[in-house]
Amino acid sequence: MRIGIPHCGNAYVIAEALVQKLGNGKNELIIPPPTSHRTLDLGVKYSPVEACLPFKLTLGNLIEACELGADTLIHARGTGVCRLGYYVKEQEQIIRDLGYDAHFFTLDVSQNRVKSIMRLIKELTNDAPWSKIISAFSFAMGKLFALDEMEKVIHKVRAVELEKGRANQVYRQAVKAISEAQTIREVRNTAKEYVKKLGQIPKDPKADPVKVGIVGEVFVVLDPFANMDIEMELGKLGVEVERTMSLSRWVKYRLFLNYLGIDEWEQVHKAALPYLRRSVGGDGWESVGEKVVYARDGYDGVIHLAPFTCMPEIVAQNIMPSTEEDIPVLTILYDEQMAKPGMITRLEAFVDLLKFRRKRRRK
Amino acid sequence: MLKVGIPRALSYYQYFPAWKVFFEALGAEAVVSPLTNKAIFAAGNSRAVAETCLPVKLFFGHVISLADKCDYMFIPALRSLGRKAYYCSKFIGLPDMTRALVPECPPILDPEIDLNKGRRGLYQTIYSLGSHFSSDKNKIKKAVEQAEKAHLAYRKEMSDRGITPIQALDETHRSEDKSYLEPDVSRGLSIAVIGHQYVIYDDYVNHRLISRLRDMGVRVFTPEMAEQQALDVAMTKLGGAPHWSFEADIVGAGEYYLEGKVDGIISVAVFGCGPDSMMIDMVRHRARGFRTPFLHLSLDEHTSEGGVLTRLEAFLDMVKRRRRVCA
Ligand code: SF4
Ligand code: SF4
Repeated sequence: MRIGIPHCGNAYVIAEALVQKLGNGKNELIIPPPTSHRTLDLGVKYSPVEACLPFKLTLGNLIEACELGADTLIHARGTGVCRLGYYVKEQEQIIRDLGYDAHFFTLDVSQNRVKSIMRLIKELTNDAPWSKIISAFSFAMGKLFALDEMEKVIHKVRAVELEKGRANQVYRQAVKAISEAQTIREVRNTAKEYVKKLGQIPKDPKADPVKVGIVGEVFVVLDPFANMDIEMELGKLGVEVERTMSLSRWVKYRLFLNYLGIDEWEQVHKAALPYLRRSVGGDGWESVGEKVVYARDGYDGVIHLAPFTCMPEIVAQNIMPSTEEDIPVLTILYDEQMAKPGMITRLEAFVDLLKFRRKRRRK
Repeated sequence: MLKVGIPRALSYYQYFPAWKVFFEALGAEAVVSPLTNKAIFAAGNSRAVAETCLPVKLFFGHVISLADKCDYMFIPALRSLGRKAYYCSKFIGLPDMTRALVPECPPILDPEIDLNKGRRGLYQTIYSLGSHFSSDKNKIKKAVEQAEKAHLAYRKEMSDRGITPIQALDETHRSEDKSYLEPDVSRGLSIAVIGHQYVIYDDYVNHRLISRLRDMGVRVFTPEMAEQQALDVAMTKLGGAPHWSFEADIVGAGEYYLEGKVDGIISVAVFGCGPDSMMIDMVRHRARGFRTPFLHLSLDEHTSEGGVLTRLEAFLDMVKRRRRVCA
């Protein structure tokens, strides 16, 4: 089998790590090239016009994987209210129509997720023993945690570094080193080393960054290509970014802690209740709740990211401005026509507004 | 008598008869907003964020027009009517969006309808809804039964007689819209119009599409003119288990009428509707297989009447030419 996967931020690192530990020569992992404008063009060309950006980008990834000879495609599917449940059906059809004879392996990320993921791993590894699978899985998770930890640190450093761009350089080296690490020890040491390096970057002692929380639809929040590197751009503007959602958190709760009855969003849902009483699918409920939480925690503003035509987030967008916990919200809707300079202009204006409000408040 | 406001938008077209019977059986009066007009659009448009789809903007406009005319506003949160098929997120968020955007709205009755959670939960929800009007459990139970009956009768009447919801509502409930009552033309082209009820039956949205087609001598078929079961069967055949509650009206009706050999299919959707864009693609694909002409109209508030008309005429010309060639 030649297994192709779509991209979403650093998620490919997990697949890579699993294969590294479990590979048996028979199965080959095909990681498509990092999402690029070509990926997007392919996705746009073959998708229904009004499909959301995650649909188009992941379709582009899968086509690029097919071009490299993938014959088995892995794809996430969730049921619930969102279009996610439709992905598989439609993307399969499109890829067949393009003449690729690929077999789809669907990863169920909602109700039967653990079973589905385990089944996938078992099958892809030709029945490797469980002990081996578990140790490979914890290795992969270790990498993911290290990467997410790196992100947390860099969100803070970027906002205050003296020489803009230094932190990013170090960060890029860190990602490379972590993905190349061979053992869990090595992963941990590498992470430690780079956290230290990031800490040593000279900082502006007078810096007083505004703080924003990032909320919204999970794919565009986690995928830097989809969100046009918004976190990096905010860093350049001297903004400190906080984001609750991350891949490692998702895996940690969805695959383990949820089953122990721990709901990572409980507080957030509670905060949303006066304004939105129920889940509307996707991440809409969480967006509303997180806005309230960030406002209570004294953040200066919230940036809300969503694909254009994303239904759950349009519900959130209509509700967020009128919550009693009042901080400014900037919603950015992504589609293939959006241009980055436009986004940056809007970010600059928003940051100015936040600074102005902060000054007024401190007087 | 307590007055319950029912916006003439979204699920109105599907469930109004049932709701009306229910509230009346409990001694309340159902008040419906007028046909969509410019003022209603403008009101809704001024409240919702720009990217909201047109039908949802219109919904807010209808709520605003009713706000001072009723004691309660009825806005159910529709999640699922079973079979693991779901409504669009916006239906579920409707009551809360209304609260946020229309502060002048009277208290909202917002039962959450989710048949996936089983019938018992549903009955509990309906009892607590009914308890706003009566403390007599028996009376509420009767009201539910009458409402269910009314719903089935309404659905059956449409498929038995081949009429649209507007025609059926007009005869049984005297709505003021008469535009659909022109006699059917039985020998002209037969064209199926597929889409959400709130798109294909709201003349403000579609620029009087159905009556225009009829004026041109076309015999129009819409999803409701087929039996629900037939639509479900056709849908499963084409798309497998449904993911959306309204898949039968689009995918199912598309397949059903393609198999029934209509001369052409017109799908109508609003710009920015995610679910539709996927489903319509499936039908388009299938129509190509049948070599049946297919026209998709994507409408929004900026669509001009002239534009729709031109595309319709061009499409009908094409269908006629093909029919001549094939005959
Ligand atoms: S939540 Fe939004 S982006 Fe995700 S599948 Fe649904 S519509 Fe697309
Ligand atoms: S199904 Fe489409 S048209 Fe209907 S409310 Fe949802 S997005 Fe709007």
